[in-house]
Amino acid sequence: MPTTTTPPALVAPRKAKRGGRRDGVLPYAMVAPLVVFIGALAIYPTVLTVIEAFFHSDPLTPPNHFVGFGNFSAVFANSQVRHSIESTGWYALFGVVLTVGLGIGIALLLQRPFRGRGVLLAIVILPWALPGVVEGVIWSWIYSPTFGVLNSALKSLRLIGQYQLFIGSHQIETILLISLVQVWQITPLATLLVLAAMQSIPDELYESARVDGAAWYQHITRVTLPLVRPAVAIAMAEALVMSINIFDQVYVLNAAASTGSSLMSQTYFITFQDLNFGQGYALSLFATVATILLSLLILKVVYRKVEY
Amino acid sequence: MIEKRQKLISKTAAFGVASALVLTGLTGAASAATTSANKAALQNVTINVAIAYPAPPKAMLAAFTKSTGIKVNYSYIQWDDLQTKIAAAAEAHTYFADVADVDWSKVGEYYQTKWFMPLNKYFNVASLPAQYPQIASFIRDGELIGMPSDVSLLVTDVNTKDFAKAGITKMPTTFSQYQADLTALQTKGIVAHPLDIPFAAAEGLSTYWYETTAAFGGQVLSSSYKPEFSSPSSAGYKAMTWMVAAYKDGLVPKGNLSLEDYQGFSNDQAQNLTASVFSDYSGDVGTVYDVPSSSKVVGQVEYIPTPGVSGPAPNLANPDGIGIPSTAKNVNAAVEFIKWYDEAANQAAFAGAQGVSNSISGFPLPANTAGLAQLVSSGKVPGAAELANLAEHHSRAIFPAGAPPWYPAFSNAVYTNLHSAAAGQESVASAISAITSQVSSLGG
Repeated sequence: MPTTTTPPALVAPRKAKRGGRRDGVLPYAMVAPLVVFIGALAIYPTVLTVIEAFFHSDPLTPPNHFVGFGNFSAVFANSQVRHSIESTGWYALFGVVLTVGLGIGIALLLQRPFRGRGVLLAIVILPWALPGVVEGVIWSWIYSPTFGVLNSALKSLRLIGQYQLFIGSHQIETILLISLVQVWQITPLATLLVLAAMQSIPDELYESARVDGAAWYQHITRVTLPLVRPAVAIAMAEALVMSINIFDQVYVLNAAASTGSSLMSQTYFITFQDLNFGQGYALSLFATVATILLSLLILKVVYRKVEY
Repeated sequence: MIEKRQKLISKTAAFGVASALVLTGLTGAASAATTSANKAALQNVTINVAIAYPAPPKAMLAAFTKSTGIKVNYSYIQWDDLQTKIAAAAEAHTYFADVADVDWSKVGEYYQTKWFMPLNKYFNVASLPAQYPQIASFIRDGELIGMPSDVSLLVTDVNTKDFAKAGITKMPTTFSQYQADLTALQTKGIVAHPLDIPFAAAEGLSTYWYETTAAFGGQVLSSSYKPEFSSPSSAGYKAMTWMVAAYKDGLVPKGNLSLEDYQGFSNDQAQNLTASVFSDYSGDVGTVYDVPSSSKVVGQVEYIPTPGVSGPAPNLANPDGIGIPSTAKNVNAAVEFIKWYDEAANQAAFAGAQGVSNSISGFPLPANTAGLAQLVSSGKVPGAAELANLAEHHSRAIFPAGAPPWYPAFSNAVYTNLHSAAAGQESVASAISAITSQVSSLGG
C-alpha cells in the first residue's frame, strides 16, 4: 500500500534555535558601545544645554533659578554678541563659498589619474590633520606685520610700499583673512567628498557627451557638477557647520578684539570669563538651532537625488 | 652706582636673612610637627598639581617625594587654558587637581564662588605680611585664598645702548622726561618706533593701562570699586589718551595692534625694534632679553624706576599664587606641597639662584623676602637687587580692595575698548564711557 506523506510545502521549516537568537542580538551588541558613546558625549550634553539655557546659572550670583527666555534676551541685548553674530555671518559666507569652490576645483584637477596624484592628494589632505590652534599660530607668523612672509612677498612684487597690518584694522578684511585659515583646514574634506562622488560617475556618460560634441567645460557643467550635486550639498553643509563654529583660529589671530570676533569666541568669553553659564548655554543653543536650520535649507535647495 | 648697588644688596640681604630665620622658625616648627604627625598618613599619596609654570627640576621634586612620601603628578598648563579648566571643573563640582593656580586677578572671584578653600588653618596669616611683600593680593575679608608663589611687578625697562646713542645718559625720572626721550630716540633715527605697548585685546593691555594710570598719579577703581577714570582730568583717562596717541603718532610699531604682551617683548624689545617697555613684567630682563639664543639686546636692557608725573611711580603687583580647590582629594598633602614650593631656598632656586639647570623657565622673583635675599646674594640674576627693592618698597596692589569678583569681565571691557580705540574704531571718550558702563552693570 502506498504511504501518504505530507506535501513538503505544508511542512513548516524548522527554525534554527541557537544561531537565530545570537544573530538577533549581535548587531545591537556591536553598535551598543557607539550608541553609549554618542549618548554620553552628544545627546546628554545637548539635552542639558537645552534645559540650562532657560536657567540663570552664574556662580557669582547664586542660586540658579528659572528665567525663561531671560538669558536669550540678555545676550541679544549685548552689542558685542550682536556684532559677533554679524561677523559669524561673514565667516559662514566666506567659509562656504571658498571651501566648496576650492574643493570642487581641486577635485576636478585630481579626477583623472596622473603621475604623482597620490602624493598631491596627501599634500592636499595635510591641513586637515592640523589642529586649528596650530594653524592659527602658523598663519599669525605669515600675516605678521613685522616679518611675515605675506608682507615680504607682496613687497617683493612691489604690490605694497611698506609692510601692512592685515589683521585688526578692518572688520571684513580681518574676517576674510581668518576665514582663509579655516578654509585651508576644511577644504580637504570637501575635496574628498566631491572627488569620491566624481569617481562614481560612469565613464559612459562622458563618452556619450563626447560623442554628442560637448566641449571640455560642458563635460564639467553638464555631466560632472549635476551628478556630484549631493556631495556638494553635503560639503556645503559641512563647511557651514565648521564656519559657524569657528573658534580656534579666531582666538589665536584675533584674541578678544571685536573686529573679528565670532559667535563661539563670544560664547567662550561669556561662559568662562564672565562665568555666566546660563547665557553661554543660551548662545550655544542659538548657534545649534541656527546651524541646523541653515543646513536643512542648504540640503533642501542644493541636494538632489542622483541616479545613473 | 656700583657702591649704591652694593649697599642695596647688603641691606636687602640683611633683611632677608632675618626674615629667613623667622620664616624657617615658623614653617620649620610647623613642618616638624606636621611631618612627625602625618608622614605615615601621607606616604604614597599622589597629588595632582596644575600650575601655569613649567615643573620644578626633577631632582627637586624627587627630593620632596623622598622627604614627605608624597608623589607629585605635575601638569604645566598655559594660563588661559588653566583658568578655563578651573572654572569648568569647579562649576561641574568635579575634582581635577589638589593644588592649582590662584592668580591675583582671580582672588575676588574665588572668594565669592568658594572654588578654593581658605588656607587660614594651615598658615599663620598674621605673620605673612612680614614675609610676603604681595600677600595682600591673596587675602579677602581675612580669608587667605592662596599662597603667593612668586613676586611679580609691572616695571619699566629701557635699552640703555639705544638711549646712549640718542645722547641720553641720565634715565628719565618723570613722565614728561620719558616722553621727551622717546621722541628724541625717534627723531634722531635711533629707533623708528621706540615704545612697546601690546595692543592685542588681551589681559596684558589691561595691566599696561593700570600701570600707566599709576604713573599718572591715580588708580582705576576706588576701594569701593567705583570707576576713577571717567573724568577727562583723571589719571586713567589721561593714561588711555597717552597710550592711544602713542600708537597713532607712531611711537609704537603699527603691528603691535595684534601683539600680546610676551609677543611684544620677544618680537619688539628683544629684537631691538623698540627701545622701552613702560609696563613690562619683572624678571623679563633675565628670562627674555638676556637670552642669547633669542635676543639681540643681551646686556642692553635695564630696569628703571617707573617715571611718574612728579617722580618715581609705584610698581603695581601682579603676583601668581597657588591654592587648594574645594574639590581637592588630598588636602594635607597639598598643604605640604605648597609649603615646600614656598620655601625660601626653593623659591630662590626657581628664580635662578642655583643656575639655569635648577630654575623654572620664566619664573619671575621669589615670593618671600627670604627667597629674595638669597637670590640677590647669589648674584646670578641681573637686576635682582633693583627688583627686590621695588617689590619691598615701591610696590602696591592694583586695586586697593583687591581684585573684584567680576574682574575678568571688567578686564575684558578694558582691553576690547582700548584695542578698538587704538585701531581707530572708537574714540577714547567712547571707550572710557563703555568701560564705565560695564563697571556700573557689574556692580561697581
